[in-house]
Amino acid sequence: MSRTALLACGGGLIAAALYPLLFGGSNYAVNLGFLVLFAAFLGQSWNIAGGFAGQMSFGHAVFFGTGAYASTILHVSHGWNPWLAWPVAIAAGAAVGAGIGTLSFRAGLRGSYFALVTLAFAEAFRILANSVPFTRGGLGMLIKSDPHPANLQFRDPIWFYYLALVLCVLSLALAWWLTRSRFGARLAAIRENEDAARALGINTFREKVRVLALSGALCAAGGTLYAQKYLYIDPSIAFGVDKSIEMLLVSMIGGAGTIFGPLIGAGVLHFVSEVTRELGGALPAIKNAQPLALIVYGVILVIIVGYLPDGSMGLFRRRRALPQGQGHA
Amino acid sequence: MSKRDHRPGVTRRAFAIGTGALAVSSVASPLPLRAQAGPIRVGLIHPVTGFVAYNGQQSRLGATMAIEDVNKAGGIKSMGGARLEAVLGDSQSKVEVGVSEVEKMNEAGVAAYIGCFQSPVGIAATQAAAKYNTPFLIDVGASDLLVSRGLKNIFRLKPGFGKCVDDGIAALGALNKAAGGAAKSAVLVHESGEFGTGTAKLLAGKLPSIGIEAKELIAHDNPTRNFDNIALRIRSMAPDIVMMSNYGNEYMLLARTLFQQKINVAGMFSVLGGGFNYKFVKEMPDVAQFMMDTNHWFNPRSAAAQALKKRVEAGGALFTFEVYLSYSNVMLLADALERAGSADKEKLTAALASSTFKAELLPYGPTKFTNGQNEGGRPGVMQVLKGDIEVIAPAEFASAQAVFPRPKFT
Repeated sequence: MSRTALLACGGGLIAAALYPLLFGGSNYAVNLGFLVLFAAFLGQSWNIAGGFAGQMSFGHAVFFGTGAYASTILHVSHGWNPWLAWPVAIAAGAAVGAGIGTLSFRAGLRGSYFALVTLAFAEAFRILANSVPFTRGGLGMLIKSDPHPANLQFRDPIWFYYLALVLCVLSLALAWWLTRSRFGARLAAIRENEDAARALGINTFREKVRVLALSGALCAAGGTLYAQKYLYIDPSIAFGVDKSIEMLLVSMIGGAGTIFGPLIGAGVLHFVSEVTRELGGALPAIKNAQPLALIVYGVILVIIVGYLPDGSMGLFRRRRALPQGQGHA
Repeated sequence: MSKRDHRPGVTRRAFAIGTGALAVSSVASPLPLRAQAGPIRVGLIHPVTGFVAYNGQQSRLGATMAIEDVNKAGGIKSMGGARLEAVLGDSQSKVEVGVSEVEKMNEAGVAAYIGCFQSPVGIAATQAAAKYNTPFLIDVGASDLLVSRGLKNIFRLKPGFGKCVDDGIAALGALNKAAGGAAKSAVLVHESGEFGTGTAKLLAGKLPSIGIEAKELIAHDNPTRNFDNIALRIRSMAPDIVMMSNYGNEYMLLARTLFQQKINVAGMFSVLGGGFNYKFVKEMPDVAQFMMDTNHWFNPRSAAAQALKKRVEAGGALFTFEVYLSYSNVMLLADALERAGSADKEKLTAALASSTFKAELLPYGPTKFTNGQNEGGRPGVMQVLKGDIEVIAPAEFASAQAVFPRPKFT
């Protein structure tokens, strides 16, 4: 990494760390920052499998929900400290990722077939969580409010912001490592042409299972953080399809297979959401602001799919690829 | 050969873009509203968009009408005629958005919150409001988890699903006894969330006490767009009663499917049936005929309730339970502000906790909050008869005699 890039990274990190202070300690701004970073982190977990390895998933909520339920069950039903339950939840996410990967890739599922199978797994887990007694079914699980850092609960939302920032930075570092490592190179080879990668001697099955386990572990970490922040989960919240869609969207809009794509995508999506919600609140005449948000999401997606297949990051790559002078025509 | 033959790399420009993303998102964040002196701000958090948008919009309608009425009547007199001002929020049916609205409204200086319709959103939003000790009035929200967490800032005027189930079971038991025990079995169909599951489980546990066996509990998702299979399952089990606990669209769709398939039962009886309202009766009068529901309802003998009903209908809306519950919650808040003489959160919370507010639109006893739950709240039991909704219990508010068992399909 060049010195300039390192400086830019450090500057960004300092800006992110100072962000809550820029708004005079506004909890609303801090909460919004948390939502952006959290969406970016979850998006990055999707991006590692869907963007870097080309294993597009429609059901990443299965990992999110696994993490949320694993730590909550251990904490609420078995008295574990959430800090200790967190790594177990991450391991559970990895195990579910490896399990789904093994079953799907062993059956030779690729592309849209694999995507649909992940969606089916997420739905199966949701129905399971609705049915088995240890999740309390549709009643959901309530975590007792006891704000103390030792309980992974904080009275001041700024600490959740910083926790999300740490996770986001770690996921960015992991993505950067993927662009530099042999493992990442093997994933890129699989993404571009799996048959060719196999012909080159890459054990594509093993690599795909590994990356899905890694992605599942990250996503499960997000599930635990969500449960500890909002203190309540139910099957729809944990395994709902909207979580999967959000993870996919932030990566697609920002740029799948890029390091900073999910972060940019999360910023764009939350900007659209907040602006349309503000419009809904400020102008009661616009009673149905969510369709407005959905229309804007849809327009953004159409533009990106039609003109920027590499997402927002692709725009800058294209400009870089243009010969000198053409970019300013 | 794919065009994407490059490796994702880190360049100066890429890093500049990436590190700028946080700055972009911070610029993107709309600035929090600043607290203003003068009017007393009331935060209204409802799902005005999303799959229960209609219910949220009805709640908003009731609350804003009440605020208008309080202001027209001179505002809060003990505070020099201070006016109420609505701060509108949309939870979008999402927990995290509901919490975000709480934070935003706190910075707008709201004296109290009213919301949230969906229990999961309410659970998280009340928790967030508790950090600021801001009173939170639950206008609609069935889960008893809302008021069982020891939070001092929560007040629920309406009964929870525990009370609704108890009163519903008592009414059904009385009806069945009067009909010579016509019903001996029931199938319960419920939405798979906290509200539907909790209600159905309570019902199934209590049905044997009135001599009715719960044959099966059938859960369905939100949204569900086809009930054919569930209807076939019900037909195969041939219960005497079908009991439903679900949100509006699914309630109406299930009722219509059972009607279309001519499934004969002695009665269709719901507890907190989300779709049991004037909209349902107006749009599907044949389907709705003879259906019964235990739910929040207005006092049909209250002149104030009838006057408000006329006003709401004159505006082209329907007088659904969300309207008068939200309206009543604003009035409860106004009463507490009047007695507290201040919008100070501690004083307001104390005034709410000791409230004896008379909810004149509702068939309630005197308000008495115990751990945030109004002990005076109770549901009504209604039946659709001749294209209208009639109260059949409790007796002192009844406007018609129940028809049970219902006539069979020929």
